[in-house]
Amino acid sequence: MTPPLIELHGVTKTLRGQGEPRPILKGVDLTIGAGESVAILGRSGSGKSTLLSLIGLFDRPDGGRYLLHGEDITKIPESRAARLRSSEFGFIFQRFFLLKHLTAAQNVQMALVNGQGWLSARKRRAKAYEALERVGIAHLAKQRPARLSGGEQQRVAIARALVRQPRVLLADEPTGALDTETGNLVIDVLHGATQQGCGLVLVTHDADHAARMSRVLRLDDGVLHPDGVGTAGTASPRHAVRPDTTRHHEQVLS
Amino acid sequence: MIGLSGGYRSALIIGLQGIRARKTRTLLSMISLFLGVLAVVVVQAGAEIAERALLSNVDLVEGIDGTRKLYLPADGKAGEVIMDTLAGRSDGVGVVSFGPAIIGEPGVAPLNPGAMPFDQMGMGFGAPVYCDENGCYDTLPGTVPQPPGQAVELYLNGLTGDIRSFKPFPLLSGEWLDFSGEPSLAPRIVVNKEAAKFFSAYSIPAEMRLNGAIANPTPRIIGVVDDGQPWSPAAYVRADEIANWMPPNAGIAGPMGGGFEVFMTPDSHELEQVLTSRLVAIGIPAEHIGGFTVNTREAFETQLLIMQIIFLGMASLVLLIGVAGILNVGLATVGERVEEFALRRAVGTPRFILAGIVLAETLLTGLLTAGAAIAFAALALKVVGPYMGGGGYIPGPENVSFPWQAAVAGVIAGLVGGLLGGLIPAIRAARIPIASVMRA
Repeated sequence: MTPPLIELHGVTKTLRGQGEPRPILKGVDLTIGAGESVAILGRSGSGKSTLLSLIGLFDRPDGGRYLLHGEDITKIPESRAARLRSSEFGFIFQRFFLLKHLTAAQNVQMALVNGQGWLSARKRRAKAYEALERVGIAHLAKQRPARLSGGEQQRVAIARALVRQPRVLLADEPTGALDTETGNLVIDVLHGATQQGCGLVLVTHDADHAARMSRVLRLDDGVLHPDGVGTAGTASPRHAVRPDTTRHHEQVLS
Repeated sequence: MIGLSGGYRSALIIGLQGIRARKTRTLLSMISLFLGVLAVVVVQAGAEIAERALLSNVDLVEGIDGTRKLYLPADGKAGEVIMDTLAGRSDGVGVVSFGPAIIGEPGVAPLNPGAMPFDQMGMGFGAPVYCDENGCYDTLPGTVPQPPGQAVELYLNGLTGDIRSFKPFPLLSGEWLDFSGEPSLAPRIVVNKEAAKFFSAYSIPAEMRLNGAIANPTPRIIGVVDDGQPWSPAAYVRADEIANWMPPNAGIAGPMGGGFEVFMTPDSHELEQVLTSRLVAIGIPAEHIGGFTVNTREAFETQLLIMQIIFLGMASLVLLIGVAGILNVGLATVGERVEEFALRRAVGTPRFILAGIVLAETLLTGLLTAGAAIAFAALALKVVGPYMGGGGYIPGPENVSFPWQAAVAGVIAGLVGGLLGGLIPAIRAARIPIASVMRA
C-alpha cells in the first residue's frame, strides 16, 4: 500500500524569543494524501502559518514525527530539506514576493535556478512560459511586477510555485491581499492545479474558499480539528473527517 | 560556464542579475575598492619595472653572481704579473682600464668630450673642466682649444681573455674578440651600443689617440656588444694588442691606467692564491688587493623584495579600506534583500548557494574593479612612460611597458577584496530564516 504523502504525528512547536516561551502547536496529527486539497482555517495567531512552515520544511518541529512518503524526515539536515522543498513543494504567500527587477518569466524561472540540478536557459524559458500559460498569463511573461495587477502578480507567484511540478502546493492566505473577485480567480487557478493531480494545503480565513477544498480543518489552541468541531468553530461540518485527524481531539475529550 | 556545477552556475547567474539590478551600488563598491586595487597594481608594476631596470643588466655590469672578483691597483709591474698569470687560462680574466681614448680625426676635439653619451652631446654635461685658484676653464690653462671634429671619446678596456663567461655580453653585430692568435698591431676593438651610435652617425676615421701610447694605432672595429652601460661609450680590446703601443717598461696600463679587475670562477682558489702571492712578492701590499664574491643580483633582489613587501603592505591597508566599503554596501544590500534570500531558500536554494550569490556579486565587483584599475594603470604608464629618461639604474622607456605580473596582482587584489568584503554579508544571507517570509 502506498503511504500517504504527508503524515504529522503529535507535532509540537513552541516559539521562543523574548519573554515566556509560547506553545503554538500542541500535538498536531494530520495526514494528506497525494493530490488531496486541504483547507486550514483558524484565527490569527492560531499557528496556521507555523504549521505550514513545518510542512514545507521551513522550520522543524520541537516534538512529534513528520513522515513524507512514509519516510521520517523530522530531523533531516538542511541540505536535504532544501532538496525536498525544491522537488516536493510549491509555496504561495499572501504577499507575492516577486523580485521587482525581474520580469514575470524571470520570476518564475527563479525557482528553476536554485542550485538543484541545471537546466539550459532555453529549457528554463520554455518551462516558465508553460507555467505562466497554466495560470493564464503567458502574455504577460515579459512584464515586470510593477506593471501587473495584484491578481496577476499572485498568478505569477503560483506559476513560480508550479514550475517545478511539485507534489503539493502550500498556500498561506494567497487571497489575503486581493479583492473578492480576484481572490476567487486565484482560488480557481489553485483548484485547477489540484485537478491536475497536485495536492494543496490552503491556509485561509475565507470559509468560502475553504469550502472548495476536499477537506477543511480548523486549527484552534494549537490543535487541529475537523471543521466545526473546534471550540470557536463557526462553519458547519461539510466534509468527512479522517480518523487520524480526530484522534488527538478524541484523546483530549476523553 | 562549462565545468561549473548547477549550484555555482546558479550563484553566478543570480549574482549577475543582482549586479544588473543594483548598478549604482555596484559602482559605489567599485569606487571604494578602486584605490586599493590600483595601489596594489602600481606597487607590483613599479616593482617589476624596477626589477627589469636593475636586474636586466646587472650581470653585464657587475658580473654574474658567484664570480670571484679582485680589484688591483694600477701598477705597471702588477699588469705584467696579471698578464703572465692569466695567460691561457679560462678560469680567470683580467680587465685593465686604459682610461679615455679618442678615435677619429687627429688634432680635433671629440664630439663628446669626457666620453659623454650620444644623447647628451652639446648639452655641456660630462665635458672636462680644469680649475685652479683663479677659477675653472674648459681647457687646460696655457693650451689652445682644439677645433671640433669627427672623433669620439670612449672608455677603452683591455681584456686578457674572454670576459663573457663572467659578463655575458650579448653580441649585437659583427664578432667578438679572438684571443687565440698572436696580438695584432692594428688593435681589434668591439664597441658597446652607445659608442656604436657615434660610428653610425658620423664618418669617423680609424685612428686612436690613447694617453701614454707611443703612437696612434689604427683600430679595427669588429663588433658591437651590449655591455649594459647605456650611459657611456666604451670599447673592448685585447690587452696585449694595446700593450704593443705602450712605451717599454711603462707596463700594460700606461701612465693613465685606471687599475685592474680580475674575474675568476667561484672555484678558482688556487688561481687567486697564486696571483695574490705573486703580487705581494713584487711589493704590492696585501691589503691593497681587494677581493670579493659577486652577489649583486641576489642583493638587489633582496632589497627589491623588502621594498615590495613594505609598499604592498601599505597598498593592502588602502585595499582594506576598500574592503570595508564593499562590506558596508554588502551588509546594507543583504539587509534589504532578506525577503529575496528567504524566498530563494523557500524554493529550495541551499544555504551555500545563497552565500555564493552574495560572493559572486562581490567577486564580480572585485574583478570589474581590477579591470578598471589595471586599464587605468596601463594607460597612465603609456602616457608617462615616454617621458621617463632612463640612464644608469633609472628605468628607461624600453623598460616601462606594463608588466603582466601587475595585472595578475590586480586581479588577485580585486578577488581578495571581493572575497573579504563579501564574506560576512554572504554568511548573513545564508543564515536568513525562511520563516521570515511566512511571517512577513
